[in-house]
Amino acid sequence: MAITAPTTSGSPAGAARAGGPVVLHTGTRFTRWLGILTIASMALVAAFGLVFSPPDVVQGEGVRMLYIHVGTIWVAYVAFVVTALASAGVLWKRRSSALTLDRIAGASAEIGVVFMALTLLAGALWGRLSWGKFWVWDARVTTTAFLFITYVGYLAVRGLGGSHQQRARRSAVVALLAVLEIPLVHFSVKLWRSVHQDASVADRTSNVTLDGLMLFTLMLSLVAFSLLFVWWVLHRQRVLAMQDALDDRGLDLALAERRREAQADAAIERGGAH
Amino acid sequence: MDHIGFILPTYLITFAAVAALAWRVITRGRSLARQLPDEDKPWT
Repeated sequence: MAITAPTTSGSPAGAARAGGPVVLHTGTRFTRWLGILTIASMALVAAFGLVFSPPDVVQGEGVRMLYIHVGTIWVAYVAFVVTALASAGVLWKRRSSALTLDRIAGASAEIGVVFMALTLLAGALWGRLSWGKFWVWDARVTTTAFLFITYVGYLAVRGLGGSHQQRARRSAVVALLAVLEIPLVHFSVKLWRSVHQDASVADRTSNVTLDGLMLFTLMLSLVAFSLLFVWWVLHRQRVLAMQDALDDRGLDLALAERRREAQADAAIERGGAH
Repeated sequence: MDHIGFILPTYLITFAAVAALAWRVITRGRSLARQLPDEDKPWT
């Protein structure tokens, strides 16, 4: 459903004639269908995760937290990799498209931070259930928290002053350094002794160890959260584009105002000289 | 279901947080779109 501007004629055509904005949202036909598909797939994740999938022989009902915990960390990893790829593009290109890539990087990092926070929260609840503690200074848990803090720092760097181009280049460098932590987090359970479980789907010999319906629910979760990520990045980077455009317009107005003041001052000085 | 006190909050917090933040992105987009002409919206 298109949202249109309130106009004197009460129609989008009237708004266009009046020169006002006609499109008052960040959606397209594609994102609307993507949104519907995302909501439907999330509902299926809840249904299969809470009801249809069987309990695990070792963890019992606690395994139901896997579908949220793995889904959210998957999106966080994907988001941070997308941030790094877009940031590499920012440093590679020096044209206006670099700013689009910068906004994709920023939107993706914001979403990654949200999902990383949800991962830590779900992990704390699952940890209390499995290990008897909300938090342990385990290699996987600690490196994940460190990754979360790193990307909070990345977002802080994006919020520093300067032009959009300066923001893009500065934060791109940080993103390319931050992404190097992901392999450390992922392989931390192999590098150090850890109470965190190893890979969920397959064992060390790559044999799939999950029950069929549990595997299906986990894959469904990965797909649903991935759809959500794509939908969210598209909308968020459009919001960031509009924020940048408003900043530019504000800057243009301030410069024009300053020029008018300077011209007025010059005219007064000329008048005084005569 | 055993451990429902841990399992249900995990699902509820995740879905509620995602829904609230997604809604915020949509409303922020609508708010900004009112302040800009359509030529500043390349997706249109």
